[in-house]
Amino acid sequence: MRKAGIACILMGVVMAGCTKVPETASDTGAPAESDPIQLAFVTNGVDPFWNIATAGVRTAEQEFGVTCEVLMPPKGIVDQKRMIESALSNGIDGLAISPIDAANQVAFINDACKVTKVITQDSDAPDSERLCFVGMDNYKAGREAGKLVKEALPEGGKVMIYVGRLEQLNSQQRRQGVIDELLDRPIPAPDAIQYDPPGGEIVGERYTILGTRTDSFDYAKAKSNAEDTIASVPDIGCMVGLWAYNVPACLAAVKEANKVGKIQLVSFDEDNATLQGIADGAVHGTISQQPYEYGYHSVRILAGLARGDETVLPENDFYEVPIVVVKKDNVEAFRTKLAELRGE
Amino acid sequence: MKKTLGIFGLLVFVCAFTAIANPNFVNAYNIQNTIRWTALYGIISIGVAYVIISGGIDLSIGSVVGLVGSMLAWLLAVKDVNVPVALATVVAMSICIGLAHGLLITKLRLQPFVVTLCGLLLYRGLARYVTDDQSLGFGSSFEGLRSLATGALPIGGFSLPVPFLIMIALAIIASILLNFTRFGRHLVALGQNETAAKYSGIRTDGVIIVSYVFCSLLAGLGGILFALDVNSIQPSGLGEFYELYAIAAAVLGGCSLRGGEGSIVGVVIGAAVMRVLYNAINILHIPTHLEFAIIGAVILTGVIVDEVVKRVVAKRRARIDASA
Repeated sequence: MRKAGIACILMGVVMAGCTKVPETASDTGAPAESDPIQLAFVTNGVDPFWNIATAGVRTAEQEFGVTCEVLMPPKGIVDQKRMIESALSNGIDGLAISPIDAANQVAFINDACKVTKVITQDSDAPDSERLCFVGMDNYKAGREAGKLVKEALPEGGKVMIYVGRLEQLNSQQRRQGVIDELLDRPIPAPDAIQYDPPGGEIVGERYTILGTRTDSFDYAKAKSNAEDTIASVPDIGCMVGLWAYNVPACLAAVKEANKVGKIQLVSFDEDNATLQGIADGAVHGTISQQPYEYGYHSVRILAGLARGDETVLPENDFYEVPIVVVKKDNVEAFRTKLAELRGE
Repeated sequence: MKKTLGIFGLLVFVCAFTAIANPNFVNAYNIQNTIRWTALYGIISIGVAYVIISGGIDLSIGSVVGLVGSMLAWLLAVKDVNVPVALATVVAMSICIGLAHGLLITKLRLQPFVVTLCGLLLYRGLARYVTDDQSLGFGSSFEGLRSLATGALPIGGFSLPVPFLIMIALAIIASILLNFTRFGRHLVALGQNETAAKYSGIRTDGVIIVSYVFCSLLAGLGGILFALDVNSIQPSGLGEFYELYAIAAAVLGGCSLRGGEGSIVGVVIGAAVMRVLYNAINILHIPTHLEFAIIGAVILTGVIVDEVVKRVVAKRRARIDASA
């Protein structure tokens, strides 16, 4: 067994070496020969969500005759910058990026715009010179999630929000959408959204938003955050998870506390545990943003731009991927479609 | 024992303060959760305590947690390997990792910092490579195995989490080994002065190797329990920075980074202080972005108070001795 373990590790190292080398070689060497279009699709982290987006990238690669490398930075913004820099030095023809910190990455994104075609996806950087944004309106999605909370808790109650990081524009917009919907505030113009500060309670007529707990992408922390809420707020009515893994973590805590049905859960994205929870009646619903479409349309638009076709750019520089609200009545159909997209 | 009094005082203070500020802190559900998390982090901290007492350091703990957790989920959920074989494989892997660290440090005379830092990168990379960087989980299967981490032993109205029982058993074994065996005495002697220990006939290489094996084995065990508990394993994230939590717990608990001293009870209390602080911040609804600042400030204040009290006591004792 000991030998097997060592052999396994060594083999892992050797294989890692073998498969990685040709990739980089083709990145640098190939354009000169047949000039295929090389793109890069950069995520904001490692998450099952991005695996579905990758499936969309792969389909579009075939359809539009390009190659696209999918880069998932494991450790936040520093890793993301490093990965984009190496992609740029490989001389790519187009870059789709999900900025981790839109406001402060503007200069960096603009630098990238000088050497290649850049679009944003999933999370936008509206102040940069990116050519367009492929994604959903996160504020609108937040409002939809707020409606789900209202359905789940028609009498009103206490709500806690969970998210990995709050620096990201999409989490800020989703959070604000949920809060504004629960407080029955009017829908503001896209550039006039007022953000409530993350600390402190926000008290509305029927709903009280107790706070927003972050976990910096640590799944164990996400679960213990939910447990701590259950312990400290016995009458918590609803937990809203803004990122894909948040509600699965809350669901585990709710199950262990035997509070299924007593604490409502509203989610974003389409983690398997969330969908199973909806089917079982433990999760009220989720807002799916169709990551497959992000991957597909990012590559479609970049492939067109790289070939000099400006008509691929959407109106107002925003290609809106519609959201899907998944509840118990449509969860089975949704799961079947998802399995098809993932090639399962 | 005296060394652990300060940290124990800090634990009592934080618990009392939180309980008064929000009585929900002491409800059974919250105490069980805090005990379970303390146990999970405590197990990896006990492991690193041995290495720190020997005068070494292990920075690869978090990555071992990540690799073992990912491999276990991968073997069980993707490769359909049966449970005993999967467990034996990951335990053997942890032992091999510790053995490799120990051999490189003693036979090749590489610095522990370098060896384990490279380990940190290597094991994280392997975990991500083997699993294709996909998140893994046990779904709703393996309930029996998962009860190792999520199960609890009911005692009256209270349930003791299984990981806590595992940690207590490990702490007792580790304490006995450290305080009542020849190996323990050799370990402390080695940490205090390696050359002196060698010249007094202690086989220091063997002691060092055993301490690294023990550390990686417990990190691996921690990895198994974390994976079973969280049930959603992200190869790039599981266990990240946990070496710092482990080292902090060990040092808070009285282990000197210069080696040669430390107590297992202290380490467990150190791990508990960290977890209780995290829990208190949530229970008291303090915004999470203040988390690190509060933990840093509380621990630093505690350590300063502890040191000042010790000095005052020592001075007073010296004065009494002088006047007597």
